[in-house]
Parts: sequence; C-alpha cells; structure tokens
Amino acid sequence: MIHKILVVEDDVVFCKLLTRFLSKKEFVTNDAQKASDAYALMESNQYDLAILDYRLPGENGLEILKKIKKEYPDMKVILISRFGDTETADEAKSLGAEAYVSKPINPDELLEVIHSLK
Amino acid sequence: MKLSISKNVHLVEPGDFEATDHWYPRVLNSNIHPLVSYFLNLSHEQMIERYHRLHPSADPAELEKILKYQPKYFRWAGTDMMHVTNHEGYRKLAIIETNSCPSGQKSMPLLDLNVEQGGYRRLIENTFKPMVEAHQEDGVLAVAYDKNPMENIGYAATVADVFEEEVYLAKFDKDDQDPPVKFIDGKMHVRDSGENWQPVRAAFRYVTQEPWNRLPKHSKTLLLNPIEACLAGGRNKEVASRAYDKFNEDFQEAGLSIFTPTTYRNVAFDQLEEHFKALGGGMVIKVPDSNAGQGVYTVISDKELKETLPKLNKNDLYLVQQLIHSNYSRGFDPKKTWYHVGTIPDTKGRSYAFDLRLMMHATQEGLRPLAIYSRRSRFPLNQPLPENMNSWEVYGTNLSVKGEDGWTYADERLMLFDIRNFGLLGLGIDELIKGFVQSCMAVYAIDQNAISLFD
Repeated sequence: MIHKILVVEDDVVFCKLLTRFLSKKEFVTNDAQKASDAYALMESNQYDLAILDYRLPGENGLEILKKIKKEYPDMKVILISRFGDTETADEAKSLGAEAYVSKPINPDELLEVIHSLK
Repeated sequence: MKLSISKNVHLVEPGDFEATDHWYPRVLNSNIHPLVSYFLNLSHEQMIERYHRLHPSADPAELEKILKYQPKYFRWAGTDMMHVTNHEGYRKLAIIETNSCPSGQKSMPLLDLNVEQGGYRRLIENTFKPMVEAHQEDGVLAVAYDKNPMENIGYAATVADVFEEEVYLAKFDKDDQDPPVKFIDGKMHVRDSGENWQPVRAAFRYVTQEPWNRLPKHSKTLLLNPIEACLAGGRNKEVASRAYDKFNEDFQEAGLSIFTPTTYRNVAFDQLEEHFKALGGGMVIKVPDSNAGQGVYTVISDKELKETLPKLNKNDLYLVQQLIHSNYSRGFDPKKTWYHVGTIPDTKGRSYAFDLRLMMHATQEGLRPLAIYSRRSRFPLNQPLPENMNSWEVYGTNLSVKGEDGWTYADERLMLFDIRNFGLLGLGIDELIKGFVQSCMAVYAIDQNAISLFD
C-alpha cells in the first residue's frame, strides 16, 4: 500500500504541481530538487515510493535508484524520463525500478501507475 | 494538465485552476474588509468627486482623463506607497516605486465569494482577453515567467479557462542557457513536447529579472506587459523618476502631482557621502533597476554608510532618496522631513512602518484597482534601534527572502486587507482613494514616457 511518496525532480514547478495533486489524493508527499536533499529526506522519513526524474543536476535518477535499492529495498521506484528514451527505461527496469513513465506526465495516468504498484 | 511536455514547460488545460494552489493559506481563510470592498467598487465618478473635495485645487476633468486613461504599454501595474506625515500632521501617500507585472494576487482576499478565481479572472477577462482578441497574430497562448509559480500557475489556469484552450506555462529564467522560450523575427516561440518551436500569439508575461535581456521591443507576440513598460520606468526607478517629474510639470496647473520623497538621480559612488550630509544624515540608496527589496539600502549613520559603501559598485550611478523617518529621528530639518505614520500601536505600544501595494489594471472603462495588501517592517518605529541592528529592520518592508527553493516570504509581516488586519493600518477610504489616484498618475506618467521613447 503506497502512502508516503518522495518526488525528486529539479523543476520546482513540476514538484509542486505533482505533490499538490498527490496530496489531494490522500498521499503524504515530500519533494527534493537534487540527490543530496533526497538522501537527507530518506534518512529521516520512511517512504513507500520514490518518483525520480532521470535528468537531475549532479547524480542522475538511475544513480539514486541504485542507492535506494541497496539501502531501502522496500521502497518502490518510478523513474521518469523524456519521451522515447528506451535505453534509460531498460536500464531502470534492470536496476529494479517498479515502473517507468515518460514525459509529459499526465497526473491522472501517473496515479493509475501508483495504484497498480503492489 | 500535462507536466514537463519539455524542459520547464507544462501544458495547462481548462479546468486546472485549484484555488488552494494560488493563494496563501491564511488568505483562503480571510474575509475582505467591508471598507476595502466598498473602495474597490467605487465608480470613477465617485472617486473623482471625493478626491476633488479632499484636494479642492485639483481639476476634476484632468483627473478624469487620468483615471479613464487607456495605456498603450503599461496595462498592468503595482505601486508601492507609504503613508507619511509631516510636522504639521499633513498626511500623504508617497509613491516609492511602480512595477510592471507585479505580484499580489496570492495576498488578496476574494472580493466576490462567488467568483472562485477572484482577481486572477478579473485581470485575464477584463485586460488580457480584449487585448488578445484585438491582436491579429497566429499561434498558441503562453504564460512566461521567472518567479512566483504560485500566481503564474494560477494565471495560466485562468487563461485556459477564459479562452477555453491549452496554455503553455514556460519558465524563462535569465540564467538558463537553453531556455524553452525564444523570439524569432520578433515573435515569441515556446518549445513543445516534440522539441519543436510553437509560435505564440499572446503571452501573459511575468518575466521580472532583467527582462530587457530576453524580451525584444516591438514584439509581434502580444505581451502583457510588453518590455517597453519596463524600460520606460516599470522596472527602472531612475527612468520612472524622470517620468514623474515630467508629469508634475505638465499637470501643475491642474493641481495634480505625483508625490515621492525628494529624489536625486544619477548619483555617482563618490557623491554618496556628500548627499548623506546634505540630507541631514539619513538617506535611501537605490540601484535603479533592482527589485524585490534587493539593491535598496537605508542609511541613518556614518557607521551604516561605511558598511554600505563596500556593497556598491564604484562605477554605477545610484538613485538617492530622502529617508522617510521614524518619529525618533533627531537633527533633521523639520520643514523638509516626512515621517512614517505607522501601524496603530499594538497592546505593547509598538508601531511599525508599512507599505501599501496596490495592483491595478487597464479595463475598457479605464484604470481600476485590482488587489491591495500591506507589508510591515520587522522592528518598530517607536523604539530605539539596538546598536547591532541595521536600519533596514525599521524601514524595510519587503517580504522576499532568498530561500533554497527560490523566493519565499516572511508571512508574519504580510498584512491583509481583511477584517482582522486592515484596521491595524489606520487607513481610511480617503487614503485608499488618494493612493489609487497617485497610482493612476504614476501609470499614466510611465506609459506616456514609453510612448515618447518607443513610438
């Protein structure tokens, strides 16, 4: 059951729009714009799901995914990347991401993906 | 809504407006003060008649010309004013600055509880829409911004609702090396989901950080506001000051004038000390094209002057203004000094300096007030300033704080014009009318300046 979600994306507006949307759907959310902030939040919170953008300043989404799967194996991950980036999608799946979603993001469609995660 | 159709671009669709996302939480739970609501609904004729009774020498016909003016460039403005008095107790509203593309909607309680989009809708419906409909150009609609996502997402959602079409919401930062907005032959284009450039027929523009670096003059895309409004004084205090002087010259016989603290323009770094002495040991130094409270320094002592000078560029020219004092200042010429009236003292006797932000827009009937709120200083006017404290704590009212996530604000100093807060300001309807008239005159002056510079 997904309850607490961390959104990691360097576009502040994206973060705010998505976290506000998810909050209205009864999820508890936090957001971070870079890997170091995300790690700090993970240390002090227990998330059920991380939604990671692939393209981030510094460490990218795949590097964060690797760390999550090593240190927080129960946390599920959805990786987001640009449309048509099949290479990243394949790598995300091989690293253990539960789902891959390409941009642009329709919040209602993303919600369906979240609900599909067991 | 479709998030991230390309880097820093989101597609906002009709029905996306969520009131809770576009006002500060305490504003959502506030009720507008009845007197403010009454003021916002006054007709031009009522305001002209009242102003004439307060200022018998003012020519009502000339005032009507200003209030019903149709600006060519400067159709959306926000003036910052301060409530001041002199030794004789003659109170005025002093114009501190006039901004093109101002913030403010998120701090304004709803005027009509049945119109959920409030001032966002009034601005889009009564100002932006008629302009777009009269502008013959093809392309999509966009909101281009560099700050203040809370209001700009709200504007994009309102534009989508009013026009019943999708709106490109694009972040157009001054430091972005690969921005999602560009101009081709004077027409704005925005990057879409296929990385193609979509032509834009009209854009609501909240690009406020050095916008002249990114926006061309004579844009083929309709912009609210176009860059000409900024260049003519809407984002430059020095140019605005010249426009006010020209206005005061032109309207002297009509008994109308824009009131500002005494201002010196183009002051060289080396002349600052001399001005400080000439002004009696108190002044405000302003970087002409700064905004959001940045680049403004209050100086009330030799020590503070010494601390301020190293922060300034020796090759720049500055705007120097007479400081509006607290009552505790001594050693100034009483005939020339203006004082903050300040807030009504609280139960501990503290009274604070505050400013008044009045947002206004051009409608088919002329200039109308749209949103209004105040911000107070951190430290009271009527207590001696502790030695280690800067005078900005007493005189500075800006709420912007540079935070890690962009621009945050100091909520405890925001004073809404609601039932709870408005009374604390000690303002009456006459001050609101005077403030509106001052603001209209400032908009008129800057727009006329734009016409003379760019037409």
